[in-house]
Amino acid sequence: MNLGRLVRRQALSHPVRALLTIGAVAVAIFLLCFLRSIVTSLDAAVKESSGRRIITASAVSLFQALPASYNEAIAAIDGVDTVSRFTWFGGVYKDPENFFAQFGTDPELLLSQYPEIALSEEAKQAWFDDKRGAIVGIGIAEKFGWEVGDTVPILGTIFPRPGDEPWEFTIHGIYRSTRANVDEMTMYFHWSYLDESIESGDSMGPRGTSVYLIRLEDGWEGEEVAQAIDDYYAGGPQRTRTQPEAAFQADFVNMMGNLPTFLGMIGAAVLVAILFGVVNTMTIAARERLRSMGILKSVGFSDRIPLRLYLMESTMLVLLGGGIGIGLAFVTQAPLRAVFGAFIPVYHIATETYLAAVVTCIAVGLISGLVPAIRAARLKPIEALRRGT
Amino acid sequence: MGEPVIQLRGVSKAYRKGGQTLVVLDGLDMDVERGEFLALMGPSGSGKSTILNLIGGLDLPDSGSVVVAGASVPDLRGDALSSWRARHTGYVFQAFNLIPVLTALESVELPLLLTPLSKAERREQARYALEIVGLADRLDHRPKQLSGGQEQRVAIARAIAMDPTILLCDEPTGDLDRDSADQVLELLARLSAEHDKTVVMVTHDQKAGDDATRILHLDKGVVEDADA
Repeated sequence: MNLGRLVRRQALSHPVRALLTIGAVAVAIFLLCFLRSIVTSLDAAVKESSGRRIITASAVSLFQALPASYNEAIAAIDGVDTVSRFTWFGGVYKDPENFFAQFGTDPELLLSQYPEIALSEEAKQAWFDDKRGAIVGIGIAEKFGWEVGDTVPILGTIFPRPGDEPWEFTIHGIYRSTRANVDEMTMYFHWSYLDESIESGDSMGPRGTSVYLIRLEDGWEGEEVAQAIDDYYAGGPQRTRTQPEAAFQADFVNMMGNLPTFLGMIGAAVLVAILFGVVNTMTIAARERLRSMGILKSVGFSDRIPLRLYLMESTMLVLLGGGIGIGLAFVTQAPLRAVFGAFIPVYHIATETYLAAVVTCIAVGLISGLVPAIRAARLKPIEALRRGT
Repeated sequence: MGEPVIQLRGVSKAYRKGGQTLVVLDGLDMDVERGEFLALMGPSGSGKSTILNLIGGLDLPDSGSVVVAGASVPDLRGDALSSWRARHTGYVFQAFNLIPVLTALESVELPLLLTPLSKAERREQARYALEIVGLADRLDHRPKQLSGGQEQRVAIARAIAMDPTILLCDEPTGDLDRDSADQVLELLARLSAEHDKTVVMVTHDQKAGDDATRILHLDKGVVEDADA
């Protein structure tokens, strides 16, 4: 016999109520982790971007292709180490539901610019050697069950083929990402394959490239080089907008509107809802336990005993629910990445989110236990016995 | 005769109710000797329960002194009052007041959590207290599994678990049938006689006089008469 056992027994003396409270907290904490992780995942992509890379897009719109001829001119600008072409393909696998990101690019340049894309030397070489080859992220490979050697049909939406025939790409490598700015939900293929297909009439669609990815030479600042590129094309034929990779990623996030604020508001509402829920449960429980508190005080426990017992009970319920919620958030990372991969490709739960969830649980537990405990602590033993049911 | 274990001098207590002042005790003097079994009797509102609450430090007098086991009870506050209460008093209530989720053994062990005793020692002492009240075979029963008389005996075992100087009993037989009430009265008398406990019992039960060593009749806050 100890006070912990007394608290446990009293908390579980109404099993349905206890389970509903635990369940509500579990769902709320899972939601908090999920909502916060959407924001932190998008932020991580921005924060982990390299300062050594800049991106040139059309000054008009990201959806306006730049001429392919810019490639050599940009490469000749001081401070530019390498330039690779990067075209948004916008295809779907079999049907529109299976939307994911594909880019036409210069394979060797891309991999030299993005060491975050981890791939075996053998896979790299196989991809470089096959114009119809592609590499895919582990996330998308797992989602569709693709393996190295598979030939996958992708329907072009921006670049349709005559008779709506699918494009066919052979997978030569499945990459993993070593940093949050590169996701594992993308397919990369040869930009030249796309360009030659359009030229030969095997595909329709705009020629050129969506953006240019530029790696800087050592000793050059991104802003300086970006300005030089934009100045170079200030008079056309098409003006450019060159930004550091982080700013480009941030623009992408901002395209979704003020998502962090919106999600933050939902999160706050969820938090207030669970706080009210648990305070309500604890208030009812505390009323039922008034007599017990009177008994404990009359046998010699101090006036602080309700404080201790109610706080133990509320914290126990909230931590149980919170633990389940956090566990749920942890195990659903991979499935959620598969479901939301096209929009939040790097979805994962950061350590700070787990910590925030635990701190939230402890805070909700303490606040919800404190409210009835202070009232019960003030009651004289005889009043507690009289008022208790 | 030695020093009384309970000494009340000039104790007055009034309550305000609905704008009116209700005098419950009016300059009461009362002594209780160690090992005495005192029954406080009288009509409702005569101040019986108030005396019990003042002795146990559950309530404060408006004036007068309350000295119990050498301590001036109204001067004790907070933790000092709680630990004094744990050491010197054991309560027995009319409504038993057992915690429903605890077994008989756990209920009796409860006050012992305030002592530095080990788990095994606590259990041993709780078991002994339950033996004294004749419930050695009901250790693992919860209140719902016990009769009213058995519940009250568990409550008495809990009250004596800390080996207090005084047992304060507020209508301990009020919710019991005659047989159970007789057993409880007999038990309280035995605790007084054999275990040297001072028992102060508030009761309406006329039969209580058979077991008590002294009866005080109260009316309107003063002692009306005393039977030895």
